[in-house]
Amino acid sequence: MELINIAATDETPQVILNPETHVFEFNGKSLPEDVTEFFNPLMDWLTTYQENPGIKTIAIFKMDYFNTASSKLILDILMLLEEIHEDTEGVTIEWHFKEDDEDMEEAGEEYADIVEVPFKQMSY
Amino acid sequence: MSEEILKALMQLFAIISKQDDGINFEKREFVKSFLKLQLNEEKVQEYYTLFEGLLIDKKKKNEEGEVSGDEKKQKRTSVTDSVKMLGICKRIGKSLTQEQKVIVLVRLFELINSDRIFSKSRIEIIETVAKVFRIKAIEYQAIEQFVISNELATQTKDNLLYLTGELEQNIEGLKQIEYNNLKGNVFILQVPKVNLYFLRFTGDIQVHLNGNSLPSKRIYLMANGSVLRLPVGKPLYYSEIISRFIERPDDVSISFEAKDIEYKFPNGNIGLRGVNLSEREGNLVGIMGASGAGKTTLLNILSGIESPSNGEVLINNLNLHGKDKDLEGVIGFVPQDDLLFEELTVFQNLYYNAKICFKSYSNIELEKAVTLVLSNLGLLHTKDLKVGNVMNKTISGGQRKRLNIALELIREPSILFLDEPTSGLSSKDSENVLDLLRELSFKGKLIFVVIHQPSSDVYKMFDKIILLDTGGYQVYYGNPVEAVSYFKRIDSQVNSEAGECTFCGTVNPETMFNVIESKEVDEFGNFSEDRKIKPERWSEIYQENFKPTEIEVVKNSPPKSLNLRNRMQQFFIFFTRDLLSKVSDKQYLIINLLEAPLLAFFLSFVVRYVTNPEKGEYTFQDNENMAPYIFMSVVVAMFIGLTVSAEEIFKDRLIRKREEFLNLSRFSYLFSKSILLFILSAVQTLTFVVVGNYVLELNGMNLPFWGMLFSMSCIANIIGLIISSSFNSAVTIYIIIPLLIIPQMILGGAMFSYNKLNYMIGGGIEKNVPIIADFMPARWGYEGLIVDTYTNNEYGKRFYEIERKESVCDYKQSYYIPLLKEKLADIRIVLANNEQSIKLKEYEFNPEEYLAVLKNEISKENVFNPIVQFSAPKDINLAHFNNALLESLEVYLDELNSFYSLSSMGLVMRKQVLTAEIKNNNPALFSILKANYYNSNLNEILTNSLVKKKIIVTKENQVMQIVDPIYLNPLKSFINIRTHFYAPNKYFFNALISTFWFNIIVIWAYVLILFVILYYNVLKKILSFFNK
Repeated sequence: MELINIAATDETPQVILNPETHVFEFNGKSLPEDVTEFFNPLMDWLTTYQENPGIKTIAIFKMDYFNTASSKLILDILMLLEEIHEDTEGVTIEWHFKEDDEDMEEAGEEYADIVEVPFKQMSY
Repeated sequence: MSEEILKALMQLFAIISKQDDGINFEKREFVKSFLKLQLNEEKVQEYYTLFEGLLIDKKKKNEEGEVSGDEKKQKRTSVTDSVKMLGICKRIGKSLTQEQKVIVLVRLFELINSDRIFSKSRIEIIETVAKVFRIKAIEYQAIEQFVISNELATQTKDNLLYLTGELEQNIEGLKQIEYNNLKGNVFILQVPKVNLYFLRFTGDIQVHLNGNSLPSKRIYLMANGSVLRLPVGKPLYYSEIISRFIERPDDVSISFEAKDIEYKFPNGNIGLRGVNLSEREGNLVGIMGASGAGKTTLLNILSGIESPSNGEVLINNLNLHGKDKDLEGVIGFVPQDDLLFEELTVFQNLYYNAKICFKSYSNIELEKAVTLVLSNLGLLHTKDLKVGNVMNKTISGGQRKRLNIALELIREPSILFLDEPTSGLSSKDSENVLDLLRELSFKGKLIFVVIHQPSSDVYKMFDKIILLDTGGYQVYYGNPVEAVSYFKRIDSQVNSEAGECTFCGTVNPETMFNVIESKEVDEFGNFSEDRKIKPERWSEIYQENFKPTEIEVVKNSPPKSLNLRNRMQQFFIFFTRDLLSKVSDKQYLIINLLEAPLLAFFLSFVVRYVTNPEKGEYTFQDNENMAPYIFMSVVVAMFIGLTVSAEEIFKDRLIRKREEFLNLSRFSYLFSKSILLFILSAVQTLTFVVVGNYVLELNGMNLPFWGMLFSMSCIANIIGLIISSSFNSAVTIYIIIPLLIIPQMILGGAMFSYNKLNYMIGGGIEKNVPIIADFMPARWGYEGLIVDTYTNNEYGKRFYEIERKESVCDYKQSYYIPLLKEKLADIRIVLANNEQSIKLKEYEFNPEEYLAVLKNEISKENVFNPIVQFSAPKDINLAHFNNALLESLEVYLDELNSFYSLSSMGLVMRKQVLTAEIKNNNPALFSILKANYYNSNLNEILTNSLVKKKIIVTKENQVMQIVDPIYLNPLKSFINIRTHFYAPNKYFFNALISTFWFNIIVIWAYVLILFVILYYNVLKKILSFFNK
């Protein structure tokens, strides 16, 4: 599998999906015109990864903002990670938020309620 | 809507409301009015407070966000809201059906439609909800456009119906209906996947849905059976709306003509007089009239169930009553009664029905077809419910009715007849049923419905009505609304031109009947019995006013989809259907399976008799009740077999009527019934035998007992089926059962000896079994079983044959030869008195008869005994009789006697040898052989040891052995139907076989004959002949 490293833009976050280290990172904001166009390749990559996942997988979300449409696709990613966790018991999600960004903190809590994956809330 | 979902909706409403500029008056009003539709006053407040609470909470946070974020950010949806919304949708999504999800989506659109601010963030939230709910993009877009766009141009046209004052000419494929002078437009959207219809309108118009005035700006769900009224024009029915979305197949063309139909009842009364009608496909026709006017008779004739006395019914120019092959399956008939299997589920009822009708369908195709019909009729959610009976309801009356209709619908007949499909239904259910029929007629079916007291809404759904008046006169045939004005006009009432109330659009069909049946008023102002206008007159007025309608007659044969399976396949389907319905009736199953072993235990335990209780244990040998036990077993087997089957066909009678209408095989049906009952009987008799024989220690006899009792049960099953197909009520059937069982007990041979029965029915010591008893299955069963129990156990197998020979020698020496010698001695006296000739009249006896006895018996003995022969038995008669013959006879009888005494001695020795052999080879067996296998009670009965006359001479001058019937083989003949009772073996096609097998063959021959009687319904035909 190839490493995915997409640089951030005004509308899309930086995404690093590393099959070697099993660390996934999502940084910045997500409000693209067409969310599926941006997220579909990532979902495909993760679906392939699911077939042969690492013992430990860490997904780091360090988002400033995402719109409603993106929230759905982030949920899809989280649910895929949930499935991987069911097989490997080794997935951790790190949810980073700015210390004063209660909105993002609460969003993390809501996500943690929906999916059953170890969820670490971290402020910076 | 459940509280959980309502709560979730409030949360979603709050999230959407707080986007952009936040909550406003319109949205609050919308939420309030939405809640009012769902809840009572108190709850509305509760939920509204909840909604407000959610808003305030959010606002505060938003303000905080405002402090930290820049200007642009506060226009955006907060990420918490996004994720919260996801959580809510995921949660409720699990408990919502797809239909409900679509409705939730529409409600969300409605919320933003209330103030018509369609901002990006709001739309984005709704779109995301749709995605989580997995609503297809194409459907989502259609709904979105439907809500947002006020202009036809921007609407998605495919699933839209447009009601307008001015028809659009330029848009191809647009479904539209013109309403002259309508100052606004109505849009109706179909969401095909879930079959929902939504309505909204623009412009300043008053729109009524089901009698309620609708405020604009809202989206309405058109429920099944809704009526939409616009300020102008005809009301629009749900069914009509649906019909716009349904494409009618091209290949249905049906012409239906009834010409001068007359019908006379068997008692000579006239049921119908000169009824005429002609219809094409796609119409819904109501048949109305006072009770007794002949509505059902007309329906029966039009559907081909009965033949008219005069006139003809032509379908596509083919005579319906001419049994034309092309018309098979074209007609569907839904009677007033239920045709459902109570023990089967809704799905199974329809599935097995369909399976028979569609030969070419695979099981998967069938399941699909059934599911489709169920969902079309709104029955899908009841799919796995048992139908139940009227007393024990699991589905509602309306659902039952719809399922009954579904039974016919699934095979898609082109013409459908329904007899009062709405009787006993609520007005809502009635409308649903009619709506369904309306929809079908739009698909091209021709539907006739007998209907009684329809509501205005139902009445107007018909395309045409046929009105019959008392005595079978046709008094109207045409448009229903016009009918009311026609009768009012004739009666010259005010406002006669308006058939319906101009104000509310209601049509009251009752006024029509009031006019038709109005009575004359006598001089005292009382209504008399006489009609103002008699039925004949109405009929004349009708003929003066209306000309018969002309239709184009279709010459092609009508389309049909009936493709019946062959008899074998039908058999399997009937069998499975019956089996399933029996297995799912737990009570029936338990009682039937426990009945036999319980009775067996009761019977055997009661008769487990010990001769000497102080000293001894129970031994089989000394049980005095063996013969009665065997007889009771036979009676029980018959009784169980009879009761289990007696209601079988009776309870299916309505279903059978329908299946005969479909030309389903009666043979397959009866055969499947019989086989299923045989299987049940096999299990019942097996448990009976195992328990009963175990308790009585009747060892080694389980198999023959089972074989015989099973046969008895089977014959009883068939008898039960015959009575259940012949009588008209369950009570009669159960009264008949003792009439069948008790003769079995009287003439079974066990309770009353045949020797001591009334001479008139063939009783008497010198007779064989009376002929009437030969018709009693119990006699064959009992005889076969008791003989087998005696001869075919461990003891009998070893000793029976030798004991039989002993019995023969003994009988000959003790009774037979002495009797013959006696006769000869008497003859000698005659000869001594008059050496030359015999004077007949002087003696107490008739020498001629005596000689005949001697002649007959010696001839027989010559055949029976090849060793000691008499040379010329033919010469034994008066003419040839002389001293020489007398002497040779005496010598012969002496020789015979010494032959048998010699044989007798030989047999004693052989028995001793046999006994010793068993003692040496198998001492264990020997010690118990007699105690466990030989029974003194059976011996007493089968050897007839208590009888006084051991031997008699019959009127035909034949000697008859009375003693030891069990040791007496009948005389050789081709087939021994008529023998003495308890004969050990009988001749069957010239071969000597054991009575057990012979009797089983007889019983199964009866089963076969009775099945033929059942198949041709002979008993029912005889009964109905006597009824006439």
